[in-house]
Amino acid sequence: MSRLAAHGIEATLPSGWDGAVFCRTPGPGESTYPIMHAANFALPSDRGDYGAGAVESMGSGGVFVALVEHGPQSVSTPLFAKRGFALPLAARHFNPAGLQRVIRGQAGYQRFFNEAGRAFCLYVVIGSVGNARRLANLATGLLESVSIGGVPS
Amino acid sequence: MVALLTVETVVLAMMAVLVAGLLRSHAEILRRLHDLGSGLDPDRVDLPDAVTASLLRPRPGALGTATDVSGTTPGGEAVAIGIAGSAHRTLLAFLSSGCTTCHGFWSGLAAPGTSVPLPGNPRVVVVTRDPSEESPTAIGSLAPAGAAVVMSSRAWADYGVPGSPYFVFADGPSASIVGEGTARTWDQLADLVGQASADSGGTRRGAGSSQVTSTSLSGPLREARADAELSKAGIYPGDPSLHARGIGEVFPGR
Repeated sequence: MSRLAAHGIEATLPSGWDGAVFCRTPGPGESTYPIMHAANFALPSDRGDYGAGAVESMGSGGVFVALVEHGPQSVSTPLFAKRGFALPLAARHFNPAGLQRVIRGQAGYQRFFNEAGRAFCLYVVIGSVGNARRLANLATGLLESVSIGGVPS
Repeated sequence: MVALLTVETVVLAMMAVLVAGLLRSHAEILRRLHDLGSGLDPDRVDLPDAVTASLLRPRPGALGTATDVSGTTPGGEAVAIGIAGSAHRTLLAFLSSGCTTCHGFWSGLAAPGTSVPLPGNPRVVVVTRDPSEESPTAIGSLAPAGAAVVMSSRAWADYGVPGSPYFVFADGPSASIVGEGTARTWDQLADLVGQASADSGGTRRGAGSSQVTSTSLSGPLREARADAELSKAGIYPGDPSLHARGIGEVFPGR
């Protein structure tokens, strides 16, 4: 079991889970915001914000969670009007069409919300639709440990 | 004359006591330096091969519990690596920027095609001390792109690492340490990992063959290996061939 804390995001990872809280280096004229990744399989160092490069190696028992912050200008927009994670996640929340990139057998869940005055997208991928109930419970267990504070100064 | 001999004898006796004291003091200094871990760099202590090769071996289960590793990246971001309970084996490489023997391992990481593949293809994670004890800039320049690097003095303490380079070979499904010790080169490390794997019943290098075969895999490890093999063949969860009702659906004509 490990504790992650950075950029106002804290999480307790179950044993055997990989995770990271990071902020990409902005390019010229670009702003970047914190991202949390967590997975119950080995996360490659080189991966996209929404898990590209990682979910391809995920097994049927895999769970990948991305919490991607958007800029403060997004907080008041209708897309981010919902509050919090809305747990627990259930099998019915996951849909193969909810994936950023369709990989056979996998299913995804996406939710845009605001928390502590910050705008986030939660994106969860599970390795097998057939295991959706068990994997949704694993994702819920992780997300129940996540707390989001105000924007760090 | 008698008086002269007596004085000489007394002087000699005093010198003998003095030399004995100096030798004892020297031995105490060496012992304390050894306790502090000085001399783990094999280049400096010139360990015989037989001694080095016997270091990476299974140790009693009560002492061999693996724990997850968390800390920061050289870039300063929070990171955690799952060890205990993961579906794979992990080789933790405890390295530093200052030890000369470590440079061979850093460069081996930088050019994975030139280093010897490790038996069983375990995940390799480099662990250095905290940024307060180790230069993140130096580590960042040594660590190649794509390498998993965690700066965590806590991990050094958790695993009782005496110095660098040091390696801990952990089995995820059983959350146990199956081998640990030091090595000079990737070649030696590969042999030691193979030996530790075979001793612990995980993987075994066939006699006279470079092929590594797995034995006694536990459920999650077997599942992970099967998933990897199937995905290499383009078969993913939900593939119809995984749910065939008979051999005829998989091999038409049979």
